[in-house]
Amino acid sequence: MHYQKIPKAGLILSALVLLSFTVSCFFSGHRVDYNSEIKPIFNKNCISCHGGVKRQSGFSLLFRSEAMAKNKSGKPAIISGDPDNSELIKRLTLKDPEERMPYKHAPLSEKEITTLKTWIKQGAVWGEHWAYTSVVETPIPNNKRGPFGIFGNPSWINNDIDQFIYQKIKAAGMSPSDEADKAMLLRRVSLDLTGMPASEKINDAFLNSKDKNAYEHLVDTLIASPHFGERWAAMWMDLARYADTKGYERDDSRSIWRYRDWLIQAFNEDKPYDRFLIEQLAGDLLPNPTDAQYIATAFHRNTMTNDEGGTDNEEFRTAAVIDRVNATWEGLMGTSFACVQCHSHPYDPFRHDEYYQFMAFFNNTRDEDTYDDYPLLREFHDNDSLKFIAFKDWVKKNAPEREKELIQFVRTQQPAINSIAADQLVNSALMDTKWLVFRNKAVARLKDVDLTNKTELMYRYISWKPGGEWQIHLDNPNGTIIGSVKVDETKNRWKINNIPLIPTTGVHHLFFTFNNPKIKTQEETGMQFDWFNFTNPFPGKGLPDYDIALKNFNELLEPSFVTVTPIMMDNPKELFRPTQVFERGNWLVKGKKVEPNTPASLGGLPANAPKNRLGMAMWLTDKKNPLVSRTIVNRIWEQFFGVGIAETLEDMGTQGIAPTHRELLDWLAFQLMNEYHWDLKKLMKEIVMSATYRQDSKWNKEAIEKDPYNKLYARGPRVRLSAEQVRDQALVLSGLMSEKMYGPGVMPFQPEGIWNSPWNGSYWKLSDSTDQYRRAVYTYWKRSAPYPSMISFDETSREVCTARRIRTNTPLQALTTLNDSVFLEAAQHFAWRIKLVVASDKSKQIEKGYEIALHQPISDAKKKAFEKLYDTALVQFKADRKKLIATTGPDKLKQQPETAALIIVAEAMMNTDEFITKN
Amino acid sequence: MSKENNRIIQEANKQFLEQVTRRHFFQECVTGLGAMALGSVLGGCNWLGSKDGSNSMLNTNPLMAHAPHFAGKAKSVIYIHMAGAPSQLELFDYKPELAKLDGQDCPQSLLEGKKFAFIRGVPKMMGPFATFKQRGQCGAWISDHLPHLATVADELSFLKAVQTDQFNHGPAQLLMHTGTPRLGRPSIGSWVTYGLGSENNNLPGFVVLTSGGKNPDAGKSVWGNGFLPSVYQGVQCRSEGDPVLFIKDPEGMSRDLRKASIDAINEANRATYEDFKDPEIVSRIAQYEMAYRMQIEVPEVMNINNEPAYIHEMYGTKPGEACFANNVLLARKLVEKGVRFVQLFDWGWDSHGTEENLAIDYGFVNKCRATDKPVTALLLDLKQRGLLDETLIVWGGEFGRTPMAENRDGKKNPFKGRDHHTEAFTIWMAGGGIKKGYSFGETDEIGYSAISGKVTSFDIQATILNQLGFDHEKLVYPFQGRSFRLTDVHGRVINEIVA
Repeated sequence: MHYQKIPKAGLILSALVLLSFTVSCFFSGHRVDYNSEIKPIFNKNCISCHGGVKRQSGFSLLFRSEAMAKNKSGKPAIISGDPDNSELIKRLTLKDPEERMPYKHAPLSEKEITTLKTWIKQGAVWGEHWAYTSVVETPIPNNKRGPFGIFGNPSWINNDIDQFIYQKIKAAGMSPSDEADKAMLLRRVSLDLTGMPASEKINDAFLNSKDKNAYEHLVDTLIASPHFGERWAAMWMDLARYADTKGYERDDSRSIWRYRDWLIQAFNEDKPYDRFLIEQLAGDLLPNPTDAQYIATAFHRNTMTNDEGGTDNEEFRTAAVIDRVNATWEGLMGTSFACVQCHSHPYDPFRHDEYYQFMAFFNNTRDEDTYDDYPLLREFHDNDSLKFIAFKDWVKKNAPEREKELIQFVRTQQPAINSIAADQLVNSALMDTKWLVFRNKAVARLKDVDLTNKTELMYRYISWKPGGEWQIHLDNPNGTIIGSVKVDETKNRWKINNIPLIPTTGVHHLFFTFNNPKIKTQEETGMQFDWFNFTNPFPGKGLPDYDIALKNFNELLEPSFVTVTPIMMDNPKELFRPTQVFERGNWLVKGKKVEPNTPASLGGLPANAPKNRLGMAMWLTDKKNPLVSRTIVNRIWEQFFGVGIAETLEDMGTQGIAPTHRELLDWLAFQLMNEYHWDLKKLMKEIVMSATYRQDSKWNKEAIEKDPYNKLYARGPRVRLSAEQVRDQALVLSGLMSEKMYGPGVMPFQPEGIWNSPWNGSYWKLSDSTDQYRRAVYTYWKRSAPYPSMISFDETSREVCTARRIRTNTPLQALTTLNDSVFLEAAQHFAWRIKLVVASDKSKQIEKGYEIALHQPISDAKKKAFEKLYDTALVQFKADRKKLIATTGPDKLKQQPETAALIIVAEAMMNTDEFITKN
Repeated sequence: MSKENNRIIQEANKQFLEQVTRRHFFQECVTGLGAMALGSVLGGCNWLGSKDGSNSMLNTNPLMAHAPHFAGKAKSVIYIHMAGAPSQLELFDYKPELAKLDGQDCPQSLLEGKKFAFIRGVPKMMGPFATFKQRGQCGAWISDHLPHLATVADELSFLKAVQTDQFNHGPAQLLMHTGTPRLGRPSIGSWVTYGLGSENNNLPGFVVLTSGGKNPDAGKSVWGNGFLPSVYQGVQCRSEGDPVLFIKDPEGMSRDLRKASIDAINEANRATYEDFKDPEIVSRIAQYEMAYRMQIEVPEVMNINNEPAYIHEMYGTKPGEACFANNVLLARKLVEKGVRFVQLFDWGWDSHGTEENLAIDYGFVNKCRATDKPVTALLLDLKQRGLLDETLIVWGGEFGRTPMAENRDGKKNPFKGRDHHTEAFTIWMAGGGIKKGYSFGETDEIGYSAISGKVTSFDIQATILNQLGFDHEKLVYPFQGRSFRLTDVHGRVINEIVA
C-alpha cells in the first residue's frame, strides 16, 4: 500500500511554482547565496587559475581577503557594491578573446553574469561552506496528514528522522514504502548491527513474538551482542588502515592486533565517540595513561614502515607522519587535506602553511621507521606479570622519585636513542639502514646527547665475537673516555647491558670507537646496536629486596615472551623536532618553521587545550568542530543505507557531492553531540528504529521512475554484503563459525602461492581447526598480498586510510563464492545442517535451507529451480562415485548421492542474489 | 538461460534510458549514486568527459569496450618489467670510457650531494662486463648478453636517458606504474582498462603475470586499482595452479553440473528481480554468466600445451612450469584474445653483487639468457601475426645501475655488483606505432648522467597512453574533490619516438 498518490496535475502545478520562484530570484529582492549560487560558478570557471594552486595575475577567489585585494594591475577585481566598475565583471563581457575571461573557455552565461553582478551589488559577501560552519540545532519538520494537513503526523512516521525524510518524499510527490516484513527486517538489522545473521534463538524469539515492541527488543539484543563490536571495528579498520604487516617491499609481520581488540571492546562498551577519538589520537598524553589508552594510540601506528634495505628512515618516517595527517582529515573529518601538502587547497579554505602547522601536532612522535616499530607497549604474561607487580610495588616504596621513569622503561623501553641516529661512520655502517654495526677499528658519532645527571648507559646489542672493546669518547674520536666495556659474544642474540659513565654535564657529541683484534678481515662485523638509553644506575642499593627488584627489572627487560604493540609517544624535550613547511610538498626542501595549530577557517584550539596532540584531539571533539560529528553521522548512515547522506564520505568540502538531506545530517550531528552525548549506540538505534530504515526494499514503479538511486529514501536499503559479511554469513549458516573473540590474526584456508614478498621468508600457515572458522575481522591481513576472497568483494588493502569502499559487481566475486573451498566447506555444512532437520524430502529440505537463511518461505519459482538442480545433481552422483566422494568428503556416513545433491543445492542457494545482498 | 536474461537486461536498460533523459546521470556517475546501483549494471558513465557518452551506456558489463580520445595506434600493451632493475651498462648503454676507468676511485664530483641505496664512502668505478656490438641497420649497441634481441634491433626504439627520483625498489616501481612513489593510486593498467574496457567479455581487461619466484617489490599495488573501482584492478593469472584464483570447479563438480547450478542460481535471481526490480540483480545474473564463460575461456587461453612445437622452440617455453618464457607466450595469447594490458614482472634483476645470483657476471647473465629468447620471440611472433603494429611492447626496470661497483656499508662486495642508479637508465619500446630502429637520449661518457633526451616515468606513461589514443591530461577520475590522472601534473608524450 502506498500512502498518497499525487495526481499529474499536481506535478505540473508544482513545476510551475518552482519555475516562477526561480525567475523571481533574479528580479526581486532575492539575496544571492554565496555557497549555492556563486561558489559553484567560481569552482567551475575561475578557480583553477585563480585559486589555491595558481594565482594568475596575482588574483585568487579562494578567500574574500584575497579576492578584494589589489592584484597585479594595482586594482582590486571586485569593488563591493559596484559591479559595473568591478574588473571581474568587465572581464567576463569583453570581446577580445585575449582579455575575456574565462581565458580560452566558453564565456559565462547571461544568467551567471547577472547572478555575479547582483551578488557584488549586495556587497560580495563570502559565505562559508556548510560543512565548515558549526553544527547548530536544526528544527524538525512537522508533517501533517489529512486534507489541509489538519491532523497530526502521518502514521508512517516513527521518529524524528522520518520527519525529515517524509517531508522530501512528499515534496517530490511520492510516498514512502510500507514496513518490510519481519523476515526481511530481521535479516537486515542483524547484518547491519552485528555483521552476521543472528542466532536461531534470537531469530525465533523475534519471529514468534506477538509483542508490538518485538522489533525494539531485537534491536536492543543485537546492540548488546559482543558481535556488535566485531562488526563496527571492521568498519573502523579501513579508516585506521589496520593490517598485520608493515607494508612496502618487505612487508613483514607487525604485532598490532591488540589495537583491533581495543576497537572491538570500545564499540561493545559504547565508548563515547569523543573519548574514542581522544584515546586513539592522544591516549598517551592523558594523565597516567592506562594500557588500553596506550593501545588505542596504535590507530596512528598502523602507518607503514619501510624495511627495504637502503631506504632512508627519515623519508619514510616523514611519509608516516604525513599519512597520519591525511588519515585524520579524510577519515575523521571528511576533508581531503592531502592536496594542501603541495599548495593551498584549490577549492576549500585551507592554506599551504596550515597543513604543516597541523602536521606539527604529529611530528614529535618517537617513531623513526625502525625495524621493530619502536616505541612499543610491552605486555607481560604469566610469571612475568607477577614479577612486574612485585617490581612496581618495590619501586613505588623504595624509589618513588624514579617510579614513573622506571615503570615506563620496563613497559616501553623508552626513552631510547635508536642506533640509526649514528653518523660520521668509519669502519662502521647502518646495516640495511636498520642498525648501527661496527667492524674492527670502527668510529661512529652520536650527536647532541645531554649527559647532565646521567651516569649510566644502557644499550641493546649483538656481539659476534669475543675480545672486542667499545669506548665512548667525549666530543671527538680521541676525546676523554667516559665509558668503556669489554664486549663478549652474545651467541647471535640481542642482549641488553649497561655500563657506568663518568659524570659529565651538558650536551655533547659522543664518539664511539670499537676494536677487536680477533676480527681478521676488513669486512667482518663485530658488533651491532639497536638502541642507547642514557640513564642512572638502578636505585635503592642496600634497601630491602634490592637484589630481587634488580633481578626482576633485568628479566622484565628481556622476557622470553611478551606481547608488543606499537604506540604513540612524544619525544622527550632533548629530541624535540621543529616542523618546517615543505616547499611544494617536497620533504627535502624545507621552508619556514611553524608551530602546531589548526586551520584558521575552522577555529582555533579550545581555550584549555595544550598545543600538542591532546589539544588537537580536544579541538576535534569540541562541539564547535564542524566536521567531526557530521563525518561520523554520515559514515554510520552509509553503513545502514549503503550511501551517505553526503555520498562522498571522504570529502564534504565544496567539491564533494552535496548531501541529499543536509538538515537531517545536521540534526543527527547535533543530536549525537548534545542529546546522545556522543553515544553511537543511541545514534544507531535511532536510525534503525526509524520508519525510513524499516521500509520494504522492493522497487515500485514510482521508485523506478522518480528516484532510481533512492536519494529520497522512499524504499528500504538494498545493498550487497560487505566482504566481511559474505564470509561471516557463510560461517553462520553452515554452523562452522567459531565464537572465539580477540587475539592475533588467524589464517583460514587460502590457495597456494599468494604470499610472495621478496626478502621475506614468512608463509601462510593454515590455522588450527577452530581458528580457521573465525570471523572475517580476525583474518591475518597482509598488505602486499591480502586475503584474496575478501579483496574480490571490495575489501581494501589497507595501505592507506580508505574512507569509502566502492562496491563492484564482478565475475571474480561469483567465482569466489562458487569455487573457493572455504565456501564449499560452508555449503557442505549448511547441507548437513538442513539434513539434521529434514532427513530426506528434497522439497522440504530446499524450503528449510531457504528459511534458515531468509526466515521466510521460498517462492515456487525458486523452489522449482533448486529442485531441478537437485535432480540433475542426483543423476550425476548416482553415476559417478568419485565425484560423489569429492563432494561429500571422506566421512562414509555422509557419502550418499542425496547428500551430495543437497550440498550442490546449498552451494547454489548461497550464491543467489538474495543471499549475497542485504534486502 | 540467456534468452530470458536478455529480456530482463533489456527491460533494465529501457528503464535506465528513461532515467537518463531525466536525471542527468552523467554528472553523478562513478562517484555518484550511479556507481552504487545502476553504474555497475550499465557499465559506467561519461567516463572520459566525451561529448557523446550515451552510446556507451547500455551494456551489462563495466568492462565493455570504449573508444579512446582519438584513434590510437596500439590496441593493447605488453609491459615487461624486469623487477629489481637490470643494468643498462651491460646491455644497451655502451661506455668504452667506463672500461678505462675500471677499478679507479669514483671522482668526488660524482658523489657530492648524492645519495645511494647501499654505496657508502668512495666506491670504485666498474667497467662494463659485456661485449658490445652494433646491430642491424640502425646500428644500435646491444651486448652479447642478448644475442637474440640483437637480431631484431631494427624493431626497437631505445630511451637511453630515463630518469627517476626514487632509489628504492618499492617506491620506484610504484612511481613507474602508478605515478607516485606512495601507495593509493591506480596503476597504469587500471587506468587503461578504465579508459578502454576490454574487448573480450570473458577475460579480464588487465592481466598480470609474474615470474622469478617472487612478486615485485611493491606488491600487488603496482597493479592495484587505487581509488578506481576494483573492477579495474589487474587480475593476476598464474601459470601454475589455477590460472585465475577460484576459476576451477571443485572436484566433485562436472561442467554440466556447474552449468545446471548457474542456471538454478540465475533462475532464482530472475525471480528475485521480478519481485524487487533492483537492476543490481540483473548485473549479478550477467556476472554469473560471465563467470561461467571465463571458466572455459581462461584455462583455454592460459593453456600453452596446444601451441605448435615451433612456437615452443621459438619462445623456449616449458609447459607446466612457472617461468618467464611461458608468461611471454601467454602475453601474446592474451592480447590476441583482446586483453588490453598485460603486465609482466620478472623478479631477480637486482644485481648488487651481494651473492652469486645477484652478481653482474653471473646471476645477471643467467637472467639475460632466460629472457632474451622469449622476448625476441614475442616481437617476431606478433609480427608474423600482423599484431606488432597494434601491440605496444615496453621493456625496462624501475631504475638503472651505477657505473660504480657497489661497496655495501663501505666495504667491497663479495661479487661484482652495481647499486641502484636514478640518473640515467634505458627502457625500450617496440610496436604499437613506435619508431623502428631508433634511439633517443644520451648519457655522458661513463653512463652516469643523462645529457640529452631526458625522460621520466611520467613521459613514458604519457607516451603509452598516447599510443592507445589517450590524452594523458584528459584521462581523469574525480576523487576527493579533484580530477586525478596517472601523470599527476607532469608528463610529456615522447613524440621523438612516435612513428
